[in-house]
Amino acid sequence: MSAASRMRSAAEGEGRGTRHSPGAERSEGEPKAQPLLEVTDLVVEFRTSDGVVRAVDGLSYRVEAGRTLAIVGESGSGKSVSSLAVMGLLPPTARVTRGSAQLAGTDLLALRPRQHRAYRGERVAMVFQDALAALNPVHTVGYQLTEALRARRGLSRADARTRAIELLDLVKVPNAKARVKEYPHQFSGGMRQRVMIASALAMDPEVLIADEPTTALDVTVQAQVLHLLAEIQAERRMGLVLITHDLGVVAGVADDVTVMYAGSAVEQAPVGPIYAAPAHPYTRALLRSIPSTAGADRGTRRRLPVIPGRPPSPAARPSGCPFHPRCDVAQDLCRTAVPPLTSPAPARLSACHFAADVLANRPPRAAERRDDRPQAAETPTTPPFDEQVPGGDHE
Amino acid sequence: MSDAVNAAPTAPRVSASNPLAEAWRTLRRRPDTVIAAAVLLFFAVMAAFPGLFTSTSPRTCPIREARTTPQGWGGDHPLGTDALGCDVLATLVHGVRPSLLLAVVVVGVSLLIGVTLGLLAGFYLGWVDYLVSRTVEVFLVIPLLLAALLVLSLFKGVDLGAGTFNVILLPAVVLILFGWMPYARYVRASTLEAKNLDYVTAARSLGASDLRVMVRHVLPNAIGTVTALLPTSVAGVISAEAVLSFLGIGVRPPATSWGIQIEQGSQWVLGGAPHILLAPLACLVATVLALVVLGDALRDALDPRLAA
Amino acid sequence: MGRYILRRAVQAVGTLLLVMLLLHLLTTVAIQLNGNPAQAFFGDKVATAAQIAAVEERFGLDDPCYDQVGNPCLGPFVERLGQYAQGDFGTNLRGREVSDIVATAAPNTLRLFCVVLVTWLALGMLLGSLAARRRGSAGDHGIRLTSVLIDAFPVFVLLIVYRYVVAVPLHGWAERTFGEDSWPPYWFKPSFDADHPWATVLVPGILLGLAGSAAFIRLVRASQLESYQGDHVRTARSKGLGERHVVVHHVVRNSSVPVVTAVGLTFAEALGGAVITEGLMNIYGMGGVLWEAVRNDDVGLVLGVVTLLAAVTVVVMILVDIAYALLDPRIRYE
Repeated sequence: MSAASRMRSAAEGEGRGTRHSPGAERSEGEPKAQPLLEVTDLVVEFRTSDGVVRAVDGLSYRVEAGRTLAIVGESGSGKSVSSLAVMGLLPPTARVTRGSAQLAGTDLLALRPRQHRAYRGERVAMVFQDALAALNPVHTVGYQLTEALRARRGLSRADARTRAIELLDLVKVPNAKARVKEYPHQFSGGMRQRVMIASALAMDPEVLIADEPTTALDVTVQAQVLHLLAEIQAERRMGLVLITHDLGVVAGVADDVTVMYAGSAVEQAPVGPIYAAPAHPYTRALLRSIPSTAGADRGTRRRLPVIPGRPPSPAARPSGCPFHPRCDVAQDLCRTAVPPLTSPAPARLSACHFAADVLANRPPRAAERRDDRPQAAETPTTPPFDEQVPGGDHE
Repeated sequence: MSDAVNAAPTAPRVSASNPLAEAWRTLRRRPDTVIAAAVLLFFAVMAAFPGLFTSTSPRTCPIREARTTPQGWGGDHPLGTDALGCDVLATLVHGVRPSLLLAVVVVGVSLLIGVTLGLLAGFYLGWVDYLVSRTVEVFLVIPLLLAALLVLSLFKGVDLGAGTFNVILLPAVVLILFGWMPYARYVRASTLEAKNLDYVTAARSLGASDLRVMVRHVLPNAIGTVTALLPTSVAGVISAEAVLSFLGIGVRPPATSWGIQIEQGSQWVLGGAPHILLAPLACLVATVLALVVLGDALRDALDPRLAA
Repeated sequence: MGRYILRRAVQAVGTLLLVMLLLHLLTTVAIQLNGNPAQAFFGDKVATAAQIAAVEERFGLDDPCYDQVGNPCLGPFVERLGQYAQGDFGTNLRGREVSDIVATAAPNTLRLFCVVLVTWLALGMLLGSLAARRRGSAGDHGIRLTSVLIDAFPVFVLLIVYRYVVAVPLHGWAERTFGEDSWPPYWFKPSFDADHPWATVLVPGILLGLAGSAAFIRLVRASQLESYQGDHVRTARSKGLGERHVVVHHVVRNSSVPVVTAVGLTFAEALGGAVITEGLMNIYGMGGVLWEAVRNDDVGLVLGVVTLLAAVTVVVMILVDIAYALLDPRIRYE
C-alpha cells in the first residue's frame, strides 16, 4: 500500500510531460517472451431467469513464465468468472461462448471436459479466496495436499506423506511433520491460505491462478502470504495470475496489471507505468481511492475520493462505454460508442475514447475543444501503435 | 462463487419484503397446491357441517342391512354399510371432525409451546437454554407412538365424558406432550441465527425491549422453517390418530373416526365387503396426500435454494 | 475422542434417569386419577384378586402417595430404579418376566431393523444422490414426486393394504407358481413365521423402510446439493480429480454427516413404525409384544417395554453421536 502511494506521489511529482516513459519498465523484463497462458477474446455467458447475461465480454490477457499478472476489478467485474472459465470450473449455468485460452500451444477452452481435467492442477492450478470453505473440513490437510498426486500419479501412502510435509515446508508452515495430520479448522487463517497454496503447487503447475488469495485475511497476514506467493513464483518461474479488487495489493508483487470493468479489460499495462500515469479514468479513480498515509504525514489531510455510483449489473449494462455513468470526464461520445482497446503509449492499452488525454492527465479533447484551445493529441480510434488490440500480434 | 453469478438473478427483481408473502405468491400459481388446498377445504367443510353430506345418522345401524355393497349416489347407502349395518358414508362424514380437530389442536398447541420455548432458549441462552435443551432431549428419547401407547393404555379406564373435545382430549394431550420438540429445536436454531443479524443487533442497541425484539425481529425470521413443517405434521397426527384408534385407544366411542372404521373394515376385505376398509382408507390417503403436497410446495417456496 | 465419548455417556445416563422419571410421573398421575390404583393396570378388564395383589406388590401401590393426586411418589420411583438396575423390568399379567419376553422378541426386531436400514440407505442414497446430481432434470422431478407419494401413504395404511388386500392373493400365487416349500411364498406370508424369521420379516421391513425413506431421499438430496455447491468441491475439481473421486470423497463423504445424524433421529420414529409393523404383521418382536400388550390391556408389560425401548434409544443416540464425531473432525476436536 505504501508502495502504491509512493508511486502515485512520484507520478504527481513528475508531472505531465512523461508520456512515453512508462513503457520503459517493460524492457527490463524478458524481451517479448513466449506467453505461457494467453487468453484471447473470452466471452462467458450465464443463463439466468432474466435471460442470458454476459459476465465476461471479450477479455484478453497473457501471462509469461516468471511474471505476475494482476487482474484488478470490483466484484462483479468478471475477473473470477474468467479464471474459472480457464480452469474449466464454470458452474453449469455458465458457458464460454467465444474466445480461446492457449496454454503452451493448446487451447484449453476447445478441449473436451475429460481432456481439460488433465490440465487442471497439473499444468494450471488455482488458489481460492476463502480457504476455510475451499478446503474440505472432513479430510486432513495432508490428505488434501496429496489427494491428486495419489489419485492421478499413484503415489504410495508413505510417499504422499513425505510430499505433503515437503509442501507444507515449502509454504513455511511451521512444524509441518505434525501438522499434516491436522484438519483445516485447526489452522489459523493465514496458515490455512498457505495450505491452500501448497495444495495448488502439489503437481508443479506452470501457471497459478490466485483468486483473491488474501482478501479474507488480516492485513499483516495478507502481506506475508503475498510475499510468499511472489517468492515461490520467482523461484519456480511460474506464471502467476493474481486476481484482486485491491490495487494497493498489486504494487509490490505484480509485473503487469489488467484492470477489468463490467466484464472486459479497460486498461492493461506494466505495473510501474500504470501507477505513475493511468490511461483510463477508472484506473485513475481506483488509484485515487487507495487511502494514503503519506497525506496524513504531510498534514495535508484531504477527503478520500470515491467513485460515485455502483458497478453495473451484468444484466443491465449501460450503452456506450460501460463506465460512462461513473466517469468524471465522460463526454457525449462515451454514451453512444463502445471504446475499443487502443494504445495511447508503447506497452499501454486502454479502453477509453480519450486514453491519451487521461494518460497525459489533461481534460479530454472534446471538452477542450469547446474552450477552443489548440489540440494536438492523436485520434484515439486510430492509434499509431502496432499493439492496438490484445492478441493483435498473435497469429 | 463469483459475484456475477450471485448478482445477476437477484439484481433486477424487487426484493421480497416478507418470505411468507413471497411463498404465498409462489404457491398460488401452482396447480398442485391449489388442488391440495381444495381437497383440504372439502374435508374441513365436511368436519364443520356433516349434515351437508349425509342425512343418515352413523348410529342407526340395522343389523339386517349389514355389509350392503355401495349403491352409488341416490341409494340409501351410497357407500354401502359396514359389518354392523351402519352407513359407511355417514360414519365417514362424522368421523372427519374428531380426526381433523385433533390434528389441528395438537399441531397448534405444540407449535405454540415449541416456538415459545425455542425462542426463549435461543434468545436468552444460559440456564434457560440448558433447561429447554435437556427437556427436549428427554422427550425425544421416548418415541411419540410409544408414549401414546403407554399413556393412553394407562388412562384407558379414566372416564372423560363424550363432548366434542372430551373424546379427543387424551390423545391430544399425549400427542402435544411428545410432539412439541421439533418446533422448539428449529426455532431455537433459527433464533440463534437471527439474533446476530445486523438489524436485530441494531434494534437491541436502540433499546428495544427483549419482547419486542423477539416478536418483531427474531420470530419472523425463525417462523419460515417451522411453517414448512406444519402440513406434514398435521398429516402425521392424522395417521397417528388412525393407528391409535385402530388399537382402540384413540378417539373414544361413541365418536367415530377413520381409524376405528379402518380397524373394522380390515376384517371384511376378503369377506366380500372391501368397501368398508377402502372408503375410510381412501379418505385418509387423500387428506394426507393433500397435506404432503402442500408441505412440499411450502418447503420449496420457503427454501428456494433446494428447489428443483 | 475418548473424553468426548465419556462426556456423552455421562450425559446419556442423566437423560435416561430423567426419562425414567418422566415415565414414572405419567404412570403415577394415571394411577392417581384412576381412583383404584391397581385397576389402572388392567384398563377395561376386570382383574382377579390375585392379579390385583400381584400388581400392588410389584409397583408398591400400597404406598399412600398413590391416593394423593399430584404427589410425585418419589419413594416408589427410587425403589423402581433399583429394580431396573438389577435388570428387573416387571412381569406381564401372566407373571412372565418382561426382560425375558424382550430377550426372546428382540432378535426379530433387530432383523426388521436391518431390513429397514438397508431400505432407507439404499433408496435414500440412490434416489437422493441421483436427484442432487441431476438437479432440475426430469429425474429430479420424478424422484421428488415419488417421495411425496411415499409420504402420502403412512406405514399404517401401507401395511393394512398389504396385509388385508395384497398379501393373501400374492401368497397364494407364489405358492402355486413356486411350490409350497420354496422361498417366495414365505416372503408374502401375511403373518410372521418363527421358523423363517428372515423371509417373513423381509416384506414388512421393506414397507416400513419405504415409508421412512421419503425423508431420507430429501435429506440426502439437500445435503448433497449443499456439498455440490460448496467451495471445497470446486477446489477438488481444480486439482483435476475425476468426477467419481470428487463425488465419493467430497460430496457423499461430506453429506454423510447430516445423514448419519438423521438415522439417529429417525430411529425413535422407526421404533414407533416397528410397533405398527410388528403389530399388524404379527411379528414376534418388541413392537409386536407392545402392540399385543396394548390390545390386552397389559399395562405393566407396556410400561416395562417402553422403558426398555427408551433405554435402547438413548444407547442408539450415543452411538450416533460417536459416529458423528468420527465423521466430522470439527466435532471431535471441539
